Amino acid sequence: MKKFIKTSQSFILPILFLVIWEVWAIKLDNPALVPRVEAVFLVLVQPFNELIGTGTLAWNTAVSLFRVMFGFSIAVILCVPLGLWMGTSRLVHRLVNPLVELFRPLCPIAWIPFAMAFFGTTRVPQLFGIRYSDTILDSIQVGMIFIIFWGGLFPILLNTIYGVTGVRSLWIETARILGASKRQIFRKVILPAALPAIMTGLRVGLGISWMVIIAAEMLPGSDSGIGYLIMYSYELAEMQILVASMVVIGLIGLILNRGLEYVSIRVSRWQSLER
Amino acid sequence: MKKLILNKVGKVFIGEDERQVDALHDVDMTADAGEFLCIIGPTGCGKTTLLRLIAGLMPYSSGSILLDEKPVEGLNPDCTLVFQQLSLFPWFSVLGNVAFALEMKGLEKNERRNKAIELLNLVGLDGVAKAKPYELSGGMQQRVAIARALAYDPEILLMDEPFGALDEKTRQRLQNVVLDLWREKQKTILFVTHNIDEAIYLADRILVMEADPGRIIGNIPLSLNRPRNRLSQKFIDLHIEIRNLLEISENSCAKETVL
Repeated sequence: MKKFIKTSQSFILPILFLVIWEVWAIKLDNPALVPRVEAVFLVLVQPFNELIGTGTLAWNTAVSLFRVMFGFSIAVILCVPLGLWMGTSRLVHRLVNPLVELFRPLCPIAWIPFAMAFFGTTRVPQLFGIRYSDTILDSIQVGMIFIIFWGGLFPILLNTIYGVTGVRSLWIETARILGASKRQIFRKVILPAALPAIMTGLRVGLGISWMVIIAAEMLPGSDSGIGYLIMYSYELAEMQILVASMVVIGLIGLILNRGLEYVSIRVSRWQSLER
Repeated sequence: MKKLILNKVGKVFIGEDERQVDALHDVDMTADAGEFLCIIGPTGCGKTTLLRLIAGLMPYSSGSILLDEKPVEGLNPDCTLVFQQLSLFPWFSVLGNVAFALEMKGLEKNERRNKAIELLNLVGLDGVAKAKPYELSGGMQQRVAIARALAYDPEILLMDEPFGALDEKTRQRLQNVVLDLWREKQKTILFVTHNIDEAIYLADRILVMEADPGRIIGNIPLSLNRPRNRLSQKFIDLHIEIRNLLEISENSCAKETVL
């Protein structure tokens, strides 16, 4: 019972928000400006319906998600090893850090014009000389991947470096006096000790990647994705689709964050319980 | 079994303002194979530094450290160290921590498991093999650290105030654990402490150190039979002798600062 009351407390404000919204929509009576809650709901419960000639809500969500996973994976594959390297080698840190400091203040969105100019609407299959691959890859523009990559880069890189440099010297010395080689120290001590910080980096990085893909998809030249759906439904004054898309963005962001949080808690349990 | 000899070993630290600090000055000492040696002294006398030099965790500035006539350079593979701080790897289980040391020695997985259980058994902890370090008390964690050090199977076991953070009762229980292990495994033990009682209870011989610069000012062989009675007259006489030795050194320090 107590648990029920506590859980229901989390719903009070969201429900109040919906009620105020609905009252506002009814009073205003202009669906091209403020759609009714049930109109948005109707779009959300029929994700496989064709919308304003742009494919379904589910398809556009899937395209956005796929783009993010594609770009984010590249960021992880490049930035985690680079971070580990920068964290363990002072020389590499000295070499690479000035560039990191220089590029860090640049918001990923600031790269959009550059990406558009540089990559245009080149799609991933075209990089390999294939015009149409008839797969979802056809909707993955290189420029977008580039933006997502920048979104994930710094959180992943900086948290990995922080995780490695934060490994207690006591643990490393302990491993050394037990006869561990450098390789063994890296694999058995530095990696597990840095894992919680790396997971934090992945979580923050994925969140930012998800945010910037929406922005990237709103730009000219884009023809699919949830960000595109928002811009297009705005142009057609289909506000219920616009709001429904925004709800989807919020929900997906929440699920991605919670999913990584779950993994993160599992791998870093020792950190929170250690006295 | 190897004999450890230190000849006029010195260690100079360079401070922030380029000032040189004599952490250790002309330290001469030996440890016979199988000897239980306690090193006692005030904070800052360099006893931890001394152990770190012997372990090869840092280079010494002058003199020489010889193990069976051979100079110690770099990490000393015949030694391992039990730290004062809790040093278990929190991401491994208790068993995993002990098995880590065995893996470094190149043992196969099954062998590691059996041997680790056997070692945990020796320190009386076979029941918590699957637990994580943070689930154990400080005393239990130090037992695991000792089991892990034994897994490395060193000639010389260095212990840096391993029971410094423990309550008196736990401390005394662990002193007996160490004595039992020493008898069974026939290791040379260098045990640093600032607890006079602990030193007299454990040692074959006690080295007394003084700070500023860190040096050895006393070498006291003990001829008491084990198990030792902390309330016997001989025990108390020794306690007073060492106390006097340490207090004299403290007074001389105070005088220097006044002057």
